This record gives sequence, C-alpha cells and structure tokens, in this order.
Amino acid sequence: MLLSVSVGEYLKSLFFDRLPFFPDNIRISLFIIMFCLIATIEIYLYVFLKKAKNKRDNYLNANWKEKISNMLSNIIIYGDEDDGLENVVNHFLPRFKKLPLKRKRVRNILIEEIRIYHSNFTGFTADVLKELFIKLELHKYTLEKLKSNYWEIQIEGIREIAQFWLYEYDQLVFALTDHEHEIVRMEAQTAHVRLNRDNPFKFLDHMRGRILPWHQLILFEIITKAKYVKIPSFVKWLGSRNDSVVIFCLKLIGYYQQLDALAEIVKLLKHPQEEIRKMSVWVIGKMEAEFVEEELLKIYPKETQKVKLEILSALGKISSGNYLSFLKDCLLTPDFEIKMGATKAILGHGRKGKLMLQELQSVVSAKNSQIIAHVLDARI
Amino acid sequence: MEAGFYFFEQIFNSAIFYFALVVMASYIFLCFFSALEMKAYMRKNSFIDYREILVSPFAPSVSILAPAYNEEATIVDNVKSIMSLHYSNFEIIIINDGSKDHSLEKLIHAYQLEKVDFCVNEQLNHQPIRGIYKSRNSSYAKLIVIDKENGGKSDALNAGINVSSKDLLLCIDVDCIVEQDALLKLVKPYLEEKKRVIATGGVVRIANSCEVEDGRLVKVHMPKNIISRFQVLEYIRAFLMGRMAWSRLNGLLIISGAMGLFDKEIVIKCGGYSHETVGEDMELVVRMRRYMHDHNLKYQVVYIPDPLCWTESPVDFKILGRQRNRWTRGTIETLWTHRDLFFNPKYSILGMLSYPYWLFFEWLAPILEGIGIITFILLASFGKINWEFSLILFTMVYTFSILLSTIAVLFEERSYHQYTSGKDVLKLLLLAFIEPVVYHPLTIYWSIKGNIDKFTGKKNWGTMTRAGFTSNQKNKLEPSSAQNLKTKQEQSA
Amino acid sequence: MARILLVEDEELMLKALEFRLKKDEHEVEIAKDGREALLKIQSADFDLIITDIMLPFVSGLEIIGKVKQTPHLAKTPMIVLSAVGLENVVLEAFELGVDDFITKPFNLTELTIRVKKLLKK
Repeated sequence: MLLSVSVGEYLKSLFFDRLPFFPDNIRISLFIIMFCLIATIEIYLYVFLKKAKNKRDNYLNANWKEKISNMLSNIIIYGDEDDGLENVVNHFLPRFKKLPLKRKRVRNILIEEIRIYHSNFTGFTADVLKELFIKLELHKYTLEKLKSNYWEIQIEGIREIAQFWLYEYDQLVFALTDHEHEIVRMEAQTAHVRLNRDNPFKFLDHMRGRILPWHQLILFEIITKAKYVKIPSFVKWLGSRNDSVVIFCLKLIGYYQQLDALAEIVKLLKHPQEEIRKMSVWVIGKMEAEFVEEELLKIYPKETQKVKLEILSALGKISSGNYLSFLKDCLLTPDFEIKMGATKAILGHGRKGKLMLQELQSVVSAKNSQIIAHVLDARI
Repeated sequence: MEAGFYFFEQIFNSAIFYFALVVMASYIFLCFFSALEMKAYMRKNSFIDYREILVSPFAPSVSILAPAYNEEATIVDNVKSIMSLHYSNFEIIIINDGSKDHSLEKLIHAYQLEKVDFCVNEQLNHQPIRGIYKSRNSSYAKLIVIDKENGGKSDALNAGINVSSKDLLLCIDVDCIVEQDALLKLVKPYLEEKKRVIATGGVVRIANSCEVEDGRLVKVHMPKNIISRFQVLEYIRAFLMGRMAWSRLNGLLIISGAMGLFDKEIVIKCGGYSHETVGEDMELVVRMRRYMHDHNLKYQVVYIPDPLCWTESPVDFKILGRQRNRWTRGTIETLWTHRDLFFNPKYSILGMLSYPYWLFFEWLAPILEGIGIITFILLASFGKINWEFSLILFTMVYTFSILLSTIAVLFEERSYHQYTSGKDVLKLLLLAFIEPVVYHPLTIYWSIKGNIDKFTGKKNWGTMTRAGFTSNQKNKLEPSSAQNLKTKQEQSA
Repeated sequence: MARILLVEDEELMLKALEFRLKKDEHEVEIAKDGREALLKIQSADFDLIITDIMLPFVSGLEIIGKVKQTPHLAKTPMIVLSAVGLENVVLEAFELGVDDFITKPFNLTELTIRVKKLLKK
C-alpha cells in the first residue's frame, strides 16, 4: 500500500514537477514511455474485443452455413428435368424466403453457397440454382455491389454476374472495363468475355498495357470452359503491337487448332521478341504443321537457345521423319540441353525413332549414349 | 581526467541517444510499411480462387528440392505429404546427402524405387552422385531420389538443380510441414507482377506442440516449451513485420532456407548455391539480386505473409545457440562477400538501404549492445551512473520493445490468427514482457559468440559441409534487434 | 443398390453428392481426405469408388494406384471427379486404370448415368 502510494507520488513528480528541468534526452524518453504504454494498452483492448467478436461471428456463421447448405443440397437432388425447372424451384422457394435475408450475414452466406454450388455444376442443377438466385431477388444486391466504393466489393458483384450468366447486366460490366483499378478492369473483361454473345473479344483491339500472365490464365480458363462463347479466328490479332495480346492469341490458336492462322504464324517466326517466336514454334508443333518444318530449320541456326529447344520439341511432335538426320547431327553439338532435346524429338517419332535410338546407342560417344539411355527409360 | 569524462558523457548523451531514436523510428517505419503491404495483400487475395492456377495448362512448372540428411525416422511420411501438395505440374526431388542411416533404404522400400540411368546436366558443381532412383509404380511418377556423397546443404541443392527439368525451384527442408496450397500461393506472384519475379519466400512458423498427422498440420497450439515460445514471438515479429516491409520496398535480402521459390534460370546463371558460406540461403538471394542489377534487368523479390511452412524449432539453449551462431556467421560471410554493395548507388535500394541496414542493425547492433553492457558495468563500478536516468532510459527501451511485440501479435491477429484460443494469445502477449530481459540477452550473447568464432578463425564451418546439416539448423530470420538499443541507452546515463 | 465410396474434401460437394447417390438407393460411405479413404478401402469392399484428385494427406492418384494394385480391389470401378482437367493429369489417371474422368463443373444427371453404367458392368 505504502509502496504504491510512493510510486504514484514519484511518477507524479517525474512527469509534472521535475519534467522541465530534465535534459532533452530524458524528457523525450519519458514521452516515449508514455506513448508506448498507452499504445500497448489500446492494442490489448482491441485484440481481445476483436477476438470475442470473431468468436461470436464464427459461431453464428457456422450455424447458418450448416442450415443453408442442407437446404441447398435438398434442392439440388430434388427432382430432375421431367419435373420442370419452375416446379422444383417453387417447391422450395417458401422455405428459402423464410430465411432472414435482410440480415447481411445470412444473405452473404446464402449467396456464397449458391455461387459455389453453381460453379461446380452444369445442366439442370445449375439452372435450378440460378432460378433460385433470381427468384430470391438476390441479384438486386449484386447490382448494389457493382456501385460500391470498395473495389473488392465491386469485384464480388462482377463475379456474381458472370457466374450466373446475368446477360442483362452485360453493359454495366462493360462500363467497368475502363475502371481505374487494374484488378477491377481485369475482372470486368473476364466477365464480359463470358457474357457477351456478339463480340466478346473486342477488348483485344484496344488493350492498354500488358495482359499479365495471371489475367491470361484466367481468361484462357473462362474462354475454354464457357459453352456459349463464340470463338473467333484469333489470327486477326496476331498483327497486334501489343506483344501480350499476340502471345495470348497464340495460346488460344494452339488450343483450338486454328490451322488457318499458320500462314501468319510463320511470319511471326521473324518477330523481334524471343518470347513470341518461341510461342509461335510451340503452336506449330502443337498443330503438327508438317509444311512449316523447313521454315523452322531455316531459322534454327540463328536462334537463341530457348527457341532452338522449342524447335526441336516441335520437330518431335510433327514427327514427319524428314529431319531425323538433322536431329541426329544435333547430338554432335557440345550443348547438353540441345542433345537432350534432339534425342527426345527422335523418340517422338514413335517406333521408328525408338529403333533409331537403339541403333545409335552403340555407335555414339559415352555421354550421348547416356542421354539416349535416359530418354529411352520410360520411368524417367 | 574530468574533462575526458565530460566529453565521454556528451557523446553518449546526445550522439548515441539520437542514433537510437533513428533506429526506433526505422522500426516504426518498417512496421508501417509492413501494415500497408499486409493490408494490400489481404485485400488483393481475399477473393482469389487459387483453383485457377491449379487447373491451368499455363501455370509454371515446379521442381521441389528437399535435401535430406539422416532423416530416416520421418522421411517416408514427409515425402508422402509433399506428394499430396496441390499443384498440377511439379516433380519432387529428394536429395539424400550421404546419410549415415537408412534414409535411402526406407525410401526405396516405401516407394518401390529402382536405380535408373539418369543423365544429369552438370551445370553446377557438387559431390559425385551415387545413383538416381525412380519408382516402378506410376502413382509415384513425380518422385526422383538422388543418392550422393555428403557435401552439405548447398551441395545437395545444387545437385537437385542439375537434375531438375522444370522452370521454378521450390527449395524446402524435408522435415518441414508444408501447407497443401503453398505452391499455388507462392507461384501467384510470378504470374501477376509487372517486373520479373526472381524469388518468393513464405512465412515460416513454429510447429512445436502442434498436432501433426501424417506430415500434415492438423491443429495449431502454442508450444509448451518456453524456448520455442520465445521463438514464436520472434518469428511473428520478424516475418510479419520485418520481411513484409522489405518486400514492399523491394529490398528483401533473405528468403529462409526452409521455404523459397526461385527462378531456375537466374539461379543457374549466377552459379547456384555457394559452398563457401554457412548462410547459403541469404547469400543466394543477394547474389541473384546483384546479377539482375549487373545485367540491368528489372526484377522483384516477393514475400507471402500466409503461413505456408511449419518447422520444429530447437527446444534447448545449446542447439538454439548453435543455430544462432551459424546465422551470425552466415550474415558476416554474406556481408563480407558482397562488401562492394555498401552504399553503392549502382545497386539502388539493395546497396543504399538493404545492405547498410543489415550491416548496421543486424550485424553491428548486437556488438554495440554487448559493448554497451560492459561499459555500463564498468561505469557502475566506478560509481559514475545516474541511476534514476538510466532507469528511465531503460524503461523507454523496454516499453518500446513491448510495444513492437504487441504490434506483431496484433498483425498476426488481424491476418491469420493461427492461435485461435484467447489463452494462447494472452500467453504470447505476456511473453513480450519477459522476452527483452530473458531471451534477448541470450541472442546477443550467441551473436557475439558467432562474431568471435568467425574472426578468431574457429573454422567449424569448414567441417560443417562434411557433417551435413542437422534438422535444427534451418530457416534464418532477422534476429530481433528491436531491443538492441537498450544498452546504448544505458550508456547515456 | 450398391456400396459406393465417395472421396471428396469440399463439404458442399460431398453433401450434394451423398444426398444424390443415397436418393438412388446406394449405400454411401464418405471419406473427407486421402488417408481416411485408404483406411476405408482396407477395411471394406466397395462396388464403386468416386474420388477427387487434390485431397488432404494423400493425393487421389495415390489412392487410385493403391486400389488398382491390390489384387482383390483391382476390379473395383473408379470415377475421378476433379476440377483439374489437364491433359497430363487425365492421362496419368487413365494410365493408372480409372474407368472414367469427370471434370468440374459437371452435370449431376450425367454422373448418375455413368455410375449406373459402371455398376452394370
């Protein structure tokens, strides 16, 4: 008791009476001590209040989630095409309407669960889920999200529109493709591709800046998975000055095997960008375009290492057999990767290639013979 | 004599005091940058569906390199756990670095391995390979096991890099517990940054007392052992506050050896892991960054705040001391090897900020602190101490270090709140009160000891490579120099 | 009426599939991760196994390998149900001996038809 009184007295004299007479550094120290103590106490309070709130939130969320996912599972397995979409949805609608959807927590969980289910199913199940989404008028909240001041909320809205194929809002999404925030722009473009039936690839015409690999990856996924997207001939963008657009279109051309683009792709073999040349060679290999082989061989000697390897791999895929002797000669170069690439390309020629490698194995140098053994081993 | 003392006093009163203020301010800055970076990261990734990377044919390919030395007890489970990582295009390369136990036999038996005629592209130097193994069973087609002569961790990793046929390298400690989506998260920066990413690092956490089943973390607990518990606080502070800030500034010097994803092309071009240092993880990052500067290439080194990798930390002071001793020597060696970076404008932030920061705060600060303590004791024995003032100064540093630790706990709570029970958080917060007086002085001692060992040429790192690495010497992190200021303050009394 | 093992780690999917298969009067065992799946395979026989690939603890590919290499299980039909429809993954799965590969998103009716077909064999 006595001690605490005297400590209090001491602190009082320290901070009030004696403060002006201390040297600078001591005064500053005293201020810093005060600051640190107050800040620490505040953080303590914050951490524990937050913790209590989170605990309650988690508990409530888990309960609602359980309930909602059970309801959704029931609607998913209930009935099939013969029962008719309307009937199935109407059967369950009253139950869903009883949920307190005015409450943000419940609404968000419901939207999220419907979205996840919808993204996992196609066909009748997906249609039922969409119908439910609309009938519950959840799309109204989606529109609100689009107008939000927070970009991450806007993105949520965009994603819902794309997920549920809400075609009527396509224009709203399109407006966001010029959004100041980069990620919103990207999401809007992606959604637009999914929704627009007439000209989904318009954005490629006036793409500002580079399409990041991440964006390309998502776009590629959307384009190749979406059923209603009209696939244009991507050759018209190969002349684009935007290198990333060219690369992206090459990927798509390869995926859709658009053979009519080959003539343009051959021209790209002279492109100043290494990445584009490499990608072009990859597409040629993927399409197994035999008549371009000669062209590939012509550029080979002057090419960079990466493109050379791609050419060898392309020759292996085309596997016309016309250039086996060239591939064999590649084994004479000192470069390990080239040798390996050439050997793999020979193996790409099927039985013929395999026989050739087996024959070669006994006549080539020890190192080359090791490479051949490596390539011939199916386990590696 | 009196004049001499007066002069001495003036220097400590003003110069060192203000230097200390600058140091403290720099911590506040780091804290601030870190908060910004964390917030931006959380916001950007809150709605990301990592499945997009998983299902894409254009996701980069990854080789996972895991060197193993005498790990027979756990290696089979560890490999199984690595094999179940969520990623579509990857291979696993386990390098048995001349283990003296039955690690290799266990692997061969468990995964039906057989020796194959693997032809290695010898781009980096390493000890001879005794054999390379693959499985007969095609469900283990992703697995490659290299058996080689012992050469230490760097050497093992270099051998793995030579065998790798993918574009990116994930270097991990084989006994680490890796989160299943770790690869997806680490790969993402490679896809989305505007500059070329040469390396990404993940946060390392302490796995002691956590529930682990089949090489996977099931439930997170606060370690029961007090020594590990100190390290939990230290790791949170270093990773969530220190490294995130450096990542934002693009000045990151170190990616822990326990988990890092590297661009293979750059790693090979700059010569792979160095055999010359015990701090090979830090040295590699510095060398890669130099390489990019020397070739005028734009690049970035990124840190991911998600807890991706869990590791068993040392539970006794002897092993911990050895680990810290090694880290100190690694830091000295790296700083010395790249001494020309010091305030070299050619290397922009690397030379002007990161390097000096490491030199002054990571290497020099513990030494200054040690000198400070000795000076304080000397002065006290001459009766030259103003006890009231030194108490005030000491309290300032003490409260400041508590504040820093508390902020670190706040970051953890706001982001990943791995420690769900309030009790665990409270334990962590209370630990902040004793850490500066109990744990911190020990880290100072180990660090000084490391310096002494290094400079007296006690070359136990020479034998280090032959002994291989043990499981307790791993991920390096910034030693908490938050409280380094303490003794500087004491002196000014 | 058949005994089906369902291996899937997403709660939502698991629930929907379980409900659906039970509606067709199948007896459904569920496993939420690869390890649980391996245990269940060892302890009981199944007429059909539906599995995801990316699973906690043990990957789906390893489960397939295990089933196909265990003599008394090898004939059990297997369907892979996965979001990863990449060429190399699909080929790997077929090489290991699965009977069907369905990529998410998928049509629930289609799945039940395929299940029926495989069970008839």
